[in-house]
Amino acid sequence: MTHSNYDPIKLEIFKHMFAAIPEEMGAVLQKSSYSPNIKERRDFSCALFDAAGNMIAQAAHIPVHLGAMPLSVQQAIQTLPLNPGDVMILNDPYRGGTHLPDITLVSPVYVEETLFGFAANRAHHADVGGMTPGSMPIARELYQEGLILPPIKLVEAGQINRGVWEMILANVRTPVERAGDLQAQLAANQRGVRRLLDLVTRYGTEELHTYSGHLLAYTERMTRALIKALPNGQYSFSDQLDNDGIGEQAVPIRVTITIAGEQAEIDFSGSAPQQQGSVNAVFAITLSAVYYVFRCLLSLDAPNNSGCLAPIRVIAPEGSVVNAVHPAPVAGGNVETSQRIVDVLLGAMAQAAPEKIPAASQGTMNNTLIGGWDTQRKRPFTYYETIGGGMGALHGKPGDSAIHSHMTNTLNTPVEALEFAYPFRVLQYAIRQGSGGAGRYPGGDGIIRDLLMLSPAQASLLTDRRSTRPYGLNGGSPGEQGENLLIRDGSNKLLPSKGSFDLKQGDILSIRTPGGGGHGEIDAD
Amino acid sequence: MRIGVDIGGTFTDFVVYNPKTKQVLTFKRLSTPHNPAEAMLAGLEQVPSPEKREIIHGSTVATNALLEGKGAPTALVTTQGFRDVLQIGRQNRPSLYDWQASPPPPLVPREWRYEVTERVSHQGEVLTALDLSQLPQLATSIKASGVESVAVCLLFSFLHPDHEQAIQQAMRDAGLFVSISSHVLPTFREYERTSTTVANAYVAPVMDHYLAEIEAQLITDDLQIMQSNGGSIHPEAARTHAVRCILSGPAGGAVGAIAVSRQTGFQQLLTFDMGGTSTDVTLIDGELKVTKEASVGGFPIGVPIIDIHTVGSGGGSIARVDEGGALRVGPESAGAVPGPACYGQTPPGSLPLPTVTDANLVLGRLAPEYFLGGQMTLNPHAAIEAISRLGRQLDLSVEQVALGIIQVANAHMERALRVISIERGHDPRQFALLSFGGAGGLHAADLARSLSIPQVLIPPQAATFSAFGMIMADVIKDYSQTVMLPGTTPLDSIGQHLELLKAQAVEEMRAEGIQRDNLVLEPALDLRYQGQSFELTIPFSAKVLEDFNTVHQNTYGYANPHAPVEIVNLRLKATGIVPSPEIQPLPFETSDPSRAYLDTRPLYLTQGRIETKVYAGEKLPPGSKITGPALILREDTTILLETKDQAEVDPYLNLIITVG
Repeated sequence: MTHSNYDPIKLEIFKHMFAAIPEEMGAVLQKSSYSPNIKERRDFSCALFDAAGNMIAQAAHIPVHLGAMPLSVQQAIQTLPLNPGDVMILNDPYRGGTHLPDITLVSPVYVEETLFGFAANRAHHADVGGMTPGSMPIARELYQEGLILPPIKLVEAGQINRGVWEMILANVRTPVERAGDLQAQLAANQRGVRRLLDLVTRYGTEELHTYSGHLLAYTERMTRALIKALPNGQYSFSDQLDNDGIGEQAVPIRVTITIAGEQAEIDFSGSAPQQQGSVNAVFAITLSAVYYVFRCLLSLDAPNNSGCLAPIRVIAPEGSVVNAVHPAPVAGGNVETSQRIVDVLLGAMAQAAPEKIPAASQGTMNNTLIGGWDTQRKRPFTYYETIGGGMGALHGKPGDSAIHSHMTNTLNTPVEALEFAYPFRVLQYAIRQGSGGAGRYPGGDGIIRDLLMLSPAQASLLTDRRSTRPYGLNGGSPGEQGENLLIRDGSNKLLPSKGSFDLKQGDILSIRTPGGGGHGEIDAD
Repeated sequence: MRIGVDIGGTFTDFVVYNPKTKQVLTFKRLSTPHNPAEAMLAGLEQVPSPEKREIIHGSTVATNALLEGKGAPTALVTTQGFRDVLQIGRQNRPSLYDWQASPPPPLVPREWRYEVTERVSHQGEVLTALDLSQLPQLATSIKASGVESVAVCLLFSFLHPDHEQAIQQAMRDAGLFVSISSHVLPTFREYERTSTTVANAYVAPVMDHYLAEIEAQLITDDLQIMQSNGGSIHPEAARTHAVRCILSGPAGGAVGAIAVSRQTGFQQLLTFDMGGTSTDVTLIDGELKVTKEASVGGFPIGVPIIDIHTVGSGGGSIARVDEGGALRVGPESAGAVPGPACYGQTPPGSLPLPTVTDANLVLGRLAPEYFLGGQMTLNPHAAIEAISRLGRQLDLSVEQVALGIIQVANAHMERALRVISIERGHDPRQFALLSFGGAGGLHAADLARSLSIPQVLIPPQAATFSAFGMIMADVIKDYSQTVMLPGTTPLDSIGQHLELLKAQAVEEMRAEGIQRDNLVLEPALDLRYQGQSFELTIPFSAKVLEDFNTVHQNTYGYANPHAPVEIVNLRLKATGIVPSPEIQPLPFETSDPSRAYLDTRPLYLTQGRIETKVYAGEKLPPGSKITGPALILREDTTILLETKDQAEVDPYLNLIITVG
């Protein structure tokens, strides 16, 4: 081992110093935001970047933002140079964003006249306008999904641009909540900028710059060591989404992973072309899924930074469902397609490292959006929730039940919090017994969540694994597929995996989420 | 005579205050983990008293039962449709990138989770009445399954406790222990409330059994039990609210910190308790800070607990070089066995483990002949061997690696101190660092330096500090109630709600023997802007809403004075003031430390090898001053002063270091 150009002690110390900043930003954002999405469900992430847009540190909040954040900042800073005191806002999936509800704020950090880096955070807002409450409709074009914000200045030289602010609030269903969340995001970035400047005061820009570079190289070395330990070869796998929410056909996703020495090539050629419906993923999402899988194979406390992706080349054909082009709708790419991309990556990696890779987890986030006019409280409401399911089993470990897997880890809304705030009553919140795949190590069970409507409402479901089942590995059985039911006047009606529906007062919406795949044959001893 | 007894994993600590001499005596005995009461009772025999002894006891009985899964077989009764809430939790996984990590298994397995037909709305109306006729049968089946204790948590029971109370009665009639959520934690968010109630039910029988044994031996004494909120309670209350005693040891330390704060006049303290495997830090801002969002062993505990942040960094933390070439320290620890390389207990065939303690020894910062007051001799050669192995990997000298290990360990601990101070809006420069625990004295001044903390305090009972805190503890009870009212609710009306809690507090405190004159009641409201889902606790007053906006601004950088506010919970903290031991200050003797001088020896400090004076800490007279570099050896800890540090012994024998 050589370390001719860095001090192994300082490397470790700077790792801590940098990592602490996005964590502190996250604490500010979580506690001061309005949306349950952000506070209760932690659907956000915070990160620091160097002046060139390399991500130096990211707090472990939500995996789907992992690879996406660096791309956002890189694209954004090329589009719009930022001066001291500016804050950029964006959500355009084709200009640094991922899907419209995820709003990103980027603040430059200047040391006197010189740009040193950026603090950025991204948070999932409960509504950004568009066709249906919650802004994840079954759309055909991006324009239907909500307000599109290209990279623009929300704050200029320390002053909020009131025009931009008012225009955003005029285009969303719950403006007070949005204003609160944006303020929380601004406060988080301010905190990040201040902490980075504290580090500059303590260590000087030169040393900070040097060690942020060393940390990128450090994570890269660890990733290279991980790839080198895998057997050289090509590993392919394909799986599919149920449909795009408009057509009936399945949407296949295919990957071929080539391991060659210390490098990996991840090729998604052969995946479906981009779809009419909203399951399209922009490249940033695909990159996040790749990052996530490699991050899980790395040592737990390796720093989260851009170095992880350096030895990995990702090929995603332009115009495909894993690298969509303007103006394809994308709301579900982030939340559903990202899960299937992970499934195919794991299916391929399982051939290279069978002892380390779990069977398929539920493979969906079961996005449930309900909105309308609350006739009891006399106010509009939008409710968004993702629902956990079964986790895939691993060699030596059964899958956990009723839990979020892979690209999300958002908390549920407590039943009592939900009933205090919305015109619903929860009738059942239970583990869906027997839904995990059988195996020597069985897959985890899904969830049943039944909501009784106390007001008429409009619901959108963006779910998957309703017609295919999460695969088992090594002889284990697949998990049960999920089910969406509408119970009206005592009779059950099966709802499709994706769609928008009008609900009447007294209707029950029952979401039953998939189980995880099992691992290993039962009789194998 | 007032006696604090803190039972830890290795030692049981005793701190005895004699009101006649106004002096404090401390001693330790080896703990007896097979029966923790044994060491306690044996120790108490060493301090007989003709008068009634007041014993304040903190034990890990409840904690260990929870962490080691050794609580009573427990059942759970919930509203129809919700028995899995305990297992689903918040549906998140404990570690984002670790497929091996699972949430801890629920304390009640599914077959012991029962549902009853009943439902209450968010406005407290009964939607479906509880069918009382099903209860005897339910109690019989639960009893027959071998369960000893029952937790009951129904939706919205904090608004309408009748259903839970009826079930409680049925379970009691069947001879079962029972904990109901509207009593244990009457606040909203069903998972956290269920988890807390279940934890209570799970540890209560163990606590009951343990207390019965102690009480039988201490009939003539007045026994109080230390709680995690920094106050004590009567054993009877500890039996029904066992979950309130879950972190009593660290809470003792925090109360001790308040006492030192009063002695020294430092209002704002960061406490730093560095032990063998981990370090606990807390923040004191004139008063103790409590959290209602604690998690113990992965189980949320919603009752107020001293806000302690723990990191896996201690004297026994193991150093290694990772695959990316960085020097890492911890969180793996060498523990007590085999312990650091210098303990000389490495089993044959294994390599000695290089630890933080070894690094300190290699740099001359620990005296090998005087570890734990000479009870243990350290082996410097084993330490050098272990650390030079890392040096060869990194191409650095033994001293460079040892300094590096200490810097990395300090970086971990610095991050913990930043979390509780800077991250929560406090400026460490306005605080003093109070260091206790055996391993902290060598690190405290350096740590303070890196956070620009101007002063470090090291109390005379550094290694028995939690037990010291226990003798200073008042009786404290916390009450809460979710109300979910609009912020426009007239203050009078809120006052009336609070009166109910106050009446309950006065009554329960009277049962503790606390008269109204000695009772301090501090009402507060948990407030948020409508739509938020996190509350701030604000003292109740005529300008409570104004104060909320100010605190929100200070904490999060913005406020919305015109936005509607929600009153989520009422809170009441009731403190029964117990006359504090008055420790007699000692008169000034001399500023000259020379009577404690031992020798001068070479030490590696940040600037390199420096001849350093060594002192016997116990012999330093009140008023004595020492200028760094210096090493102060005490039985309980070793203290390092770097070149520009200055230390002074105050009249209470606290060592006050001014960081250079």
